[in-house]
Amino acid sequence: MILNQFLILGAFLFSLGMYGVLVRRNAVLVLLSVELMLAAVNINLVAFDAYLRDAIAGGQIFALFVITVAAAEVGIGLAIVLLIFRNRQSANVDEMDLMKL
Amino acid sequence: MSALFDYHALAPELILAFTVMAVLAVDLMPVPKYYAAVTGLVGLFASIIPLLTLALCSELSFCSDNGARLLFGDSYVVDTFSLVLKGLFLVSAFISLLLAVGYVESDRYYQGEYYFLLLASVFGAVVMASSRDLISIFVGLELVSGPAFLLAGWRKGDARSNEAALKFFIVGVLSAAILLFGMSLIYGVTGELTFSGIRAATVGGELPAVFTLGVLFVLMGFAFKVSAVPFHFWTPDTYEGAPTPVTAYLSVGSKAAGFVGLLVICYSAFANMRDIWGPALWIIAVASMTLGNLIAVRQTNVIRLLGYSSIAQGGFMLAPFAVASMVEGVELEGALFATVTYLLFYAFMNLGAFGVVMAGMSKVKSAELSSWSGMAQYAPGLSMLVVIFFFALAGVPPLAGWFAKLVMFQAIISGAPNVWAVLLGVIAAVNAVVAFFYYAKVVKTVWMDSVPVEIPAAELGGSGLNPALALALGITAIATIVTGLFPGVLSFFGEATRTFASGF
Amino acid sequence: MGELVVFVIFAPLALVGALTMVAARNPVHSAMGLLMTLFSVAVFYVSNNGHFIAAVQVIVYAGAIMTLFLFVIMLIGVDSAQDNQEVLPNQRPIAVALGLALLGLVLAAGSQGWVPRGTGSPVNGTIENVSDELFGAWILPFEVTSLLLIIASVGTIALAQFRPRAIAGDEADESAVDGELV
Repeated sequence: MILNQFLILGAFLFSLGMYGVLVRRNAVLVLLSVELMLAAVNINLVAFDAYLRDAIAGGQIFALFVITVAAAEVGIGLAIVLLIFRNRQSANVDEMDLMKL
Repeated sequence: MSALFDYHALAPELILAFTVMAVLAVDLMPVPKYYAAVTGLVGLFASIIPLLTLALCSELSFCSDNGARLLFGDSYVVDTFSLVLKGLFLVSAFISLLLAVGYVESDRYYQGEYYFLLLASVFGAVVMASSRDLISIFVGLELVSGPAFLLAGWRKGDARSNEAALKFFIVGVLSAAILLFGMSLIYGVTGELTFSGIRAATVGGELPAVFTLGVLFVLMGFAFKVSAVPFHFWTPDTYEGAPTPVTAYLSVGSKAAGFVGLLVICYSAFANMRDIWGPALWIIAVASMTLGNLIAVRQTNVIRLLGYSSIAQGGFMLAPFAVASMVEGVELEGALFATVTYLLFYAFMNLGAFGVVMAGMSKVKSAELSSWSGMAQYAPGLSMLVVIFFFALAGVPPLAGWFAKLVMFQAIISGAPNVWAVLLGVIAAVNAVVAFFYYAKVVKTVWMDSVPVEIPAAELGGSGLNPALALALGITAIATIVTGLFPGVLSFFGEATRTFASGF
Repeated sequence: MGELVVFVIFAPLALVGALTMVAARNPVHSAMGLLMTLFSVAVFYVSNNGHFIAAVQVIVYAGAIMTLFLFVIMLIGVDSAQDNQEVLPNQRPIAVALGLALLGLVLAAGSQGWVPRGTGSPVNGTIENVSDELFGAWILPFEVTSLLLIIASVGTIALAQFRPRAIAGDEADESAVDGELV
């Protein structure tokens, strides 16, 4: 049974997702990057679950909830993106600058 | 199954869930739209009743099961701590709903859905107050924020509202991902999902560095939710762009939910990790109150001013956390008591302040401070309310805020004289003085400056308040004055939560 | 041993997919990259005894969520040229530094060792076992999640439904809900 390589992969994917959130302009692509971060979390959870031999399979249940919540968030996020697109014909995060910081 | 389902303990949640669905159903029926709001208000009121019976029952000896009720194998606990906070959520939801009624009605937005989403968000907060495991608290937190993302964009044609929703959403999902990564590390190190299990697994013993990292990630995730510096940058924009009643809810209900999550997870799951989260929250608390106040001083828009002020007030609420790593026993309970009490007082003051802003905007059609000048000449009653709420937020006795600040300072200096605790106390005191200036600036503008010439005289005075807003303002104003004169009325509830810090 | 072989084959695929996702100019390529990563992750679930969760991953993520993403990308016709110019100075180096710092932190902490491995029998991730847990101990969060999905659909309809006149200019917030509504 192996554990570490899954966690290293998870850390890589999480960092890549974080990088994506920071550099991508388009709101849809930012959302995709967040999905990547959540996938990294799920790798961690399932790998830990198998490694710890958790009798109640807690990690897998948690991963299931993460997937479901991610689905709901994607629905909400894409609704907001569509709303903005209809008003502005653009989905760029950087053009969101009506208000000063 | 009977042991699994304690219907009495779950009654507030069940009634609230039923109300949420009922609001949606009423909205579809051919009845006036405000029936949906009335359904929501009645439902909120009804779900407070089982809170009272549960609180009574936990004290009475002839009740079949007095004391804390543990459901679903330790992962859902109904004790006095959770009852008090559920009460806070329900009452602040009641006021938020009253604030929203006139606003949503006047602009003919999607009303039923608005109330539905608001109540669903409150349901998430209520679930969070009792959750004692990683999964429930995460799902509860998402249920609090999900509807909030949508509500922030409720003014669909307004680009600012769209922007508010998008910024809030992106920051929200990013913080959720960070929170989850931390939770996955904690699960991996301890092999437990329930807080009691995590606490038991971390007693003594060497813990790998990854666990520390997990704790820090979880703190970061919650810091976004309570908009603590340096995770605050979304707050002013979202507050300004979102519809004002939504902003009121975000700054009280949704923020309180974040604080409750932080309280539960720090004092319960990470009870043995106080030397990790104490110093981390010390830095965050100091940064929040200092930066929030310094930027608030420069604001010219009342809503942005309240946004930065709520960041600073969040810093005051975090300050007792920061000293929790230095104290034990009674003082530790005092730290928890200070945060909960501050939260209870802050809810009324801040909801009232946003109610005043809404009333003021209905008069002068602007939230810019310059257009508010001289309001006392044509709206003396409203200007009196400005004095009450803004001075209460500043902590001027005999209005409610002074007691919250008092217990906060008591908690900070109660422990052994420690250089960090003293430094925190000094910084908090300086900040309280700075904060007084910008709250007083609003009051001065309203009372002492002259009416701006560019506003046509015919528009001054405007229309009268709608009854729901007036009711909300009345409730919060009376609460602010009465709890300022008799702080025991509210701090009694804070006292009831004390044992949560050390009752393990 | 077989597990290691599976990892050696699919881990590079997952990484390549992730890199494609963050680097591609064309948003459709990004979505496809993420799809590849998600499929590889599903394979890891299987190799960790997560049979049900692997099926959910493929059906929900690849089947539903990614389709939704592609649909929206096609609908709003994301212009690939938009993504090139930088607005904030040094945004990319800062993001690289933050990402690397995060990675370094996790790896450094992880290299100091983990918990001892569990002793029980291997985890059983079949539908039967997972559902026993899900509808027993986790029934409350399960129900809360159902409410979350309802608010997502109600809110999405309320936000995304526009009437023709609603997409107008300045006074749009007033006219957004012309006529009798809902």
